[in-house]
Amino acid sequence: MNDLNLDYTLFIPEYFLAGLVVLLVVLDLYVTQVKKSWLSYIAAAGLAATAGVSLCWIDKQSNFARIVAIDNYTTYFRVFFMATGAIVCLASGKLVEDKLRHPGEFFALVILSTIGAIGMAASRELMTAYLSLELLSFSLYILVSFEKFDLRSNEAGIKYLLLGAFASAFFLYGMSLIYGVTGSTYYSDISANLSQGTDKFEWALLMGLVLMITGLGFKVAAVPFHMWTPDAYEGAPVAITAYLSTTSKAAGFALLLRLFSGAFQVVHDDWSWMIAGIAAATMILGNLVALQQHNIKRLMAYSSIGQVGYMLMGIAGLSHNTASALVLHMTGYMVSNMAIFIVIIAWYNMTGKEEIGDFRGMRERAPLLAGVLAGALFSLAGLPLFAGFVTKFILFQAVTDQGYYWLAAIGVVTSVISLYYYLQVMKQAFVIKPDEGDEALLPVPLLMNGMAAALMLGVFYVGLYPQQLFDAIDNATGFLFV
Amino acid sequence: MFLPTVPEGVVWAILLLPVASLLIVSFVTKPYPKLSGYVTIAAIGTAFLFALWTLDSVIDSDGHALAFGTYQWLEVGTTNPILRQLGGPSLSIDVGLRIDGLSSIMLVVVTSVSLLVQVYSQGYMEGDTGYSRYFAWMSLFTAAMIGLLVMNSILMVYVFWELVGLGSYLLIGFWFQKKSAGDAAKKAFLTTRLGDIGFLLAVLLIWTKTNTFNIPLIQEMAQHGQITDTVITLFALGIFAGAVGKSAQFPLHAWLPDAMEGPTPVSALIHAATMVAAGVYLVARMYPVFQVSDEALKTVAYVGAFTAIFAASIGLVVTDIKRVLAYSTISQLGYMMLALGTGGYVAAIFHLFTHAFFKALLFLGSGSVNHATGTFDMRKMGGLRKYMPITYATFVVGSLSLAGVVPFAGFWSKDEILDEAWADDKLLFAVAMAVVFMTAFYSFRAIFLTFHGEYKGGEPPEHGSHDAHAGAPHESPWVMVLPLLILAVPATLAGFVNLPSHSTRALAHLLEGALPASSVEALHHAHFVTGVAIASSLLAFAGIGLAYAIYEAKAISAASLQKMWGPVHTLVARKYYMDDLYEGLIVREGLYNFATRIGQWIDTNIIDGAVNGAGALAKRAGDTLRWVQSGSVQAYGTVGFAGLIAASFLMLVLLER
Repeated sequence: MNDLNLDYTLFIPEYFLAGLVVLLVVLDLYVTQVKKSWLSYIAAAGLAATAGVSLCWIDKQSNFARIVAIDNYTTYFRVFFMATGAIVCLASGKLVEDKLRHPGEFFALVILSTIGAIGMAASRELMTAYLSLELLSFSLYILVSFEKFDLRSNEAGIKYLLLGAFASAFFLYGMSLIYGVTGSTYYSDISANLSQGTDKFEWALLMGLVLMITGLGFKVAAVPFHMWTPDAYEGAPVAITAYLSTTSKAAGFALLLRLFSGAFQVVHDDWSWMIAGIAAATMILGNLVALQQHNIKRLMAYSSIGQVGYMLMGIAGLSHNTASALVLHMTGYMVSNMAIFIVIIAWYNMTGKEEIGDFRGMRERAPLLAGVLAGALFSLAGLPLFAGFVTKFILFQAVTDQGYYWLAAIGVVTSVISLYYYLQVMKQAFVIKPDEGDEALLPVPLLMNGMAAALMLGVFYVGLYPQQLFDAIDNATGFLFV
Repeated sequence: MFLPTVPEGVVWAILLLPVASLLIVSFVTKPYPKLSGYVTIAAIGTAFLFALWTLDSVIDSDGHALAFGTYQWLEVGTTNPILRQLGGPSLSIDVGLRIDGLSSIMLVVVTSVSLLVQVYSQGYMEGDTGYSRYFAWMSLFTAAMIGLLVMNSILMVYVFWELVGLGSYLLIGFWFQKKSAGDAAKKAFLTTRLGDIGFLLAVLLIWTKTNTFNIPLIQEMAQHGQITDTVITLFALGIFAGAVGKSAQFPLHAWLPDAMEGPTPVSALIHAATMVAAGVYLVARMYPVFQVSDEALKTVAYVGAFTAIFAASIGLVVTDIKRVLAYSTISQLGYMMLALGTGGYVAAIFHLFTHAFFKALLFLGSGSVNHATGTFDMRKMGGLRKYMPITYATFVVGSLSLAGVVPFAGFWSKDEILDEAWADDKLLFAVAMAVVFMTAFYSFRAIFLTFHGEYKGGEPPEHGSHDAHAGAPHESPWVMVLPLLILAVPATLAGFVNLPSHSTRALAHLLEGALPASSVEALHHAHFVTGVAIASSLLAFAGIGLAYAIYEAKAISAASLQKMWGPVHTLVARKYYMDDLYEGLIVREGLYNFATRIGQWIDTNIIDGAVNGAGALAKRAGDTLRWVQSGSVQAYGTVGFAGLIAASFLMLVLLER
């Protein structure tokens, strides 16, 4: 074991992030000259700079003691998570200032969770994956209940914590069973051991798989492990809801992809049917229940559950193509979803309201936000021109090519259902007149308008010419299937 | 014929000109409404000239496809070393033009009607606060429609197909402050997308089976038996499902009459001449595939025939002039589907061609009437012949063509469909003949109610921007009348492009050039049957005569007729209760009250049940957690745990060896 590569420079981006965490807390507590409102810019700038630094590792395949892989897949997710983190930091600036205390800790926790998310994408060993998962989760438990004096936020936090602990327990138990069967926690060793003893049917292996899928199912909010999602989304501060629906899910999928392609691809037949079933249930239930929601955060919760269903299809028929399609869809989803949340956050900051009915008159009062909302909702519904169509189509096509016709059919049908509830939101924003005396243009901050517009451009970029993006992703996921 | 072969750039320009006008109107000329209108008209006018040039070149090539390049838009999976060795991408999306007899004729129809409608809109939409937005959406729609026609990839056709739906959604809901308009827009969007489920699945299927989206290639493969029959039938039925949605065929027809809530020029362009014809075009485009599957062809024929008679019967009783035209459109589209299903590829497109002109004319005529009277309710009109002579005259021309009276355009195309039906299936022929009678009746009923008799006062205009029309109605301004006059010409003469003798079938020659050779051989060439022509003419005259007897001469009382047919009349007037079935039963009861309730039930009741059962223990033990709402955390965990147990149990059962 002496030939292990112990090159600590591989973690330079993470060191940067950790330093940023310390810096933010210190600035908040001890440097009174720094205005609190600057902290969000500092956090975002730090994340963006670190994302730039992490680009140095493009095409430099390496690993740290075989437990962490630094390859293009890791690099892609480093950039992905840091970008998401930066967007959330920027977007939550005013929210934190107005409603929350301790801005330094807030941004520090967002960055800590980013480190956890990166670890989940990079791990090639179960214990490391688990630790990264917990780093992400614990930061999120605190963030969800960050609105200290808001009962809903507290309740959401405790629910999320309890169910998260539940899920972690499943995941750990599954891990230990897998270790018992294969004698290793390294993905590659698990895979090698599994490919030797295929004639013998291992109950422990299967129970281990079931338990791990259950644990990760909780994390990404797949049916029937989704129950916590609407409550946590509704109670959390709205910027954290945005964060939950993007980074936390994406990290779960990053781990799922690396784990199942690296360790369990050889026993694909033993688990694919289970993921396929979960995917189908998730698409159907998420989209149907979304029809009845009145609160925009709960609606986005169920909508995100539906999206998880689409992404799980990519795991069910796991291949290089579906993996690329999944990551592409996740990226398009992140951009569209963030655009919607920017609108929700801006609207909430200005009006203090978050029911769908409270969006009435947005067209008159904040035309740019309304336009972005419409475009991003069309994207989530999968209309051409927008990101959602291309990414969904490539995903459905990849799944169909793997022979899962029925899954693709469910995906197509539920996409149409989703259009229905997205149109309900648009109806409020566009058709219903604002209340009497409430018709004036709202002073949308330049920052929010700018971010909304920039994300909308991103939606069009993915929708109209995603070739470079797709090639980058395809190259990254290639490292999963070497 | 007259010009050199069209360069590829010019054809691309046809597509890109309306895109350019969309961008210019949205970002530059928005504050200057008049200018927005001129920009759009200039763009579409130029596109029309280019479309004529394209047609000219296609005539030179006998309808065969012009040789244009194909460009790669997105290639998926080429960085995968294994696939690269095998020499193929896992998914390759190309963009290319397919300009042949079929698409070039459609291009001319779409751009010409669109141009006239834009000119007319200047008068109709004058003073509307959303004037610029209107022209922006019109440009978007026209661009999408053109894209749908010229693309050579079934996936790209699907993309533009969806955009056409989006444009239609935006335009039907143009007066979104009106609740009925917003609802109609949503209904149209969702209903057509139901059909698109089939279309998208067909697209997914065909790539998996053939590794191409290229339409000519798929046609060749289907014709040469390189795709299995099941796949072809599924593919064709999926495509047809999309066509049923867009072309408002039964059972997805209910959105079209409601779509009349949009501005009338929109109805004329989208819901009469172009978008709704896209379904027929799509089936025609994929015709070589349909030819291989008898099941698919039969489905097309019978769905079309049923829709034709079903919609025509509703057209007999509705009192809103635009809805009469809407049902008439559904019925005529059914006719075209019937033609396609019975082997009448040429007949269907011929009818689409003539229908586009005479139906656009009728719609614009109804808009002109509305401009004068402020209403679409025929019971509030009457006597307009005196006040609006040009509108009247052109409306009569349109109606004669629709009713199929010699020598107007509609007669020739309808007759060709009847010949096809006669040769193929006598039952379908009987249905088609019945529809001839009904069509003549309802179109002249509309004329007599609207233009004859005494004027009954009208109503304030539909959009508040106009001054209320006090006193007698008057003829519309020249920007509205001129398009009527121009459209009256093809509504009369368009039939002469395809007269039933061998040397004069110019249209058929072009259209057949668009098909692969084996497909042309398989087309069946029905011959002109004099008896059919005479019989259908007699039926048309009988329909006109009956309308005259009831509504003009008052020889038969409409009221007593209604009484005599009481229950039947109610059934038809309520549109066979289809709307109630869809909105009441399927959407409200089915989707909302049933499906989402089940979802909710699973989400809440199972949890509560679990709380009462397994959670009882937790409740006693968990007093400290009381303040967490009703212990639902335990419940959520329980559900997850139950899911786990279920999964393990399933695994034990399924994998037991």
